[in-house]
Amino acid sequence: MSKRSPSLFQRHRPSWSAPVELLSFGLYFLCAVLLVLSRIGHGVLEDARDQLVDLSAPLLELASVPAVEARRAVDRVRLHVSVHKNAVEEIDRLTKENEELKQWRWRTQLLERKVAHLRKLLHAAEEPALVYATGQVIADARGPFVRSALVNLGRNDGLRIGYAVINGDGLVGRTVEAGDSVARVLLLNDLNSRIPVQVGPRGARGLALGDNSAELQLGFVQEGAEVSAGDEVYTSGSDGVLPRGLRVGVVVGEPGAFKIRPFAELNSLDAVSVLFFDAPALKRTDPSVVAERRGGALSATPRLEPEEDRTALAPQDPLPPVAAMSPPVTGQAPAER
Amino acid sequence: MTRFLPALSVLIAVVATAVPWGLPADATFILPLLVVMMVFCWRAIPGTELHPAAAAVLGLLADLLSGGPLGFWALMCLAAATIGLKPGSFRERRDVWLQWLTWTAFISVLGLFGWLLASLYYLRWIDWWPILFGVVTSIVVFPVVLYGLLWVQSGRIGHSRRTIFRSAS
Repeated sequence: MSKRSPSLFQRHRPSWSAPVELLSFGLYFLCAVLLVLSRIGHGVLEDARDQLVDLSAPLLELASVPAVEARRAVDRVRLHVSVHKNAVEEIDRLTKENEELKQWRWRTQLLERKVAHLRKLLHAAEEPALVYATGQVIADARGPFVRSALVNLGRNDGLRIGYAVINGDGLVGRTVEAGDSVARVLLLNDLNSRIPVQVGPRGARGLALGDNSAELQLGFVQEGAEVSAGDEVYTSGSDGVLPRGLRVGVVVGEPGAFKIRPFAELNSLDAVSVLFFDAPALKRTDPSVVAERRGGALSATPRLEPEEDRTALAPQDPLPPVAAMSPPVTGQAPAER
Repeated sequence: MTRFLPALSVLIAVVATAVPWGLPADATFILPLLVVMMVFCWRAIPGTELHPAAAAVLGLLADLLSGGPLGFWALMCLAAATIGLKPGSFRERRDVWLQWLTWTAFISVLGLFGWLLASLYYLRWIDWWPILFGVVTSIVVFPVVLYGLLWVQSGRIGHSRRTIFRSAS
């Protein structure tokens, strides 16, 4: 009986390196294909991503707890150090600030009464109230491509794509993806962010353009518009998606190269509020027809009936400071128009 | 469990990458590069197993969580898994300096490639400073991560060193 020679056996032994190399080549090719599909915004890929992000939300929420607590602890330590260092000066500063805020409150109440009286005289139509929900940032996108954040609010909370997201300081961004329990917020400084704004007391129109840096570019300003450093920037609402009058930032830099420094600290977001501003243009950003066809995570129809349920949960008081809220909170506030 | 240790540790790093640490804007590139570095190190450490497919899947997860284009970090992790074996593992008595040098060269090219790819993706030159900052930081912290992973693998650095730098004679 003939026996197979060892050398022959070795020659015909399957090599394990070849399949691995082939697999690696296949994986490189797959990555390239995925990049191209991402670039063209393939619907199936986007839906799959939304589903997976939705699934990973509980894990991210759990994982973000130590990071958020660590950040708060560092903030507390900083505060304690600064207070102990300059206790008397800090008390004086806070007392002065409190006095100023009391005066501002009094002036605001006076102006509110005045506005209400004038509106009554003009028989002005009542403006719709802005409903909002507050949630927590559970994930932070890092990389050369995006500046975004995941918040623990989704379609189950009545959220849709295109809603404005704010914190106690000002506008943070807008929702661009929405799952059942989680939504992605495109931050103001993302490359893809374009926010129509009004600048200064004369309300010069322009665009706040994100470029992945800490500050935004101020572009497409009207010719001859009076803009100077220190001017405050607000949303103009001319896109028909974001409400008008949301604080964005302040103009910095030199004439010809003006930039906008956002009021909101976009690198360390904690609690944020989503404004349920159902503008007609939202039909384009989050069309229910497409969503019904897709179903699942991209269902555009909120589970809650927007008017009834949100109003039922609305508190009697006006919008409290966002930082004071514990997520998720649902409430109602007068529109900033 | 030991077999899955590399993949598990990289998975934890991927999740940690997505967590909101509140880092400044310039430091945005550091955490994802840490994931790539871990893939590179695990491939170089003897007695451990991190398949290129697993590295690609973990990179894809990083893409999903970051909200960026799918395939970018998968590509980076896959490249790290490929290059991680190239200079020869520690088993072959190669010094840590060689690994460090390889990482320096690799990450410099990868950083440049990532910047070009990101610029191509958006059809505009994107800000290069965060990428450069991330690359330089990753080069500086490379030995820390390498020895940290060795410690994770064996629990004792001394033992690992003896195993790794054992003479071939």
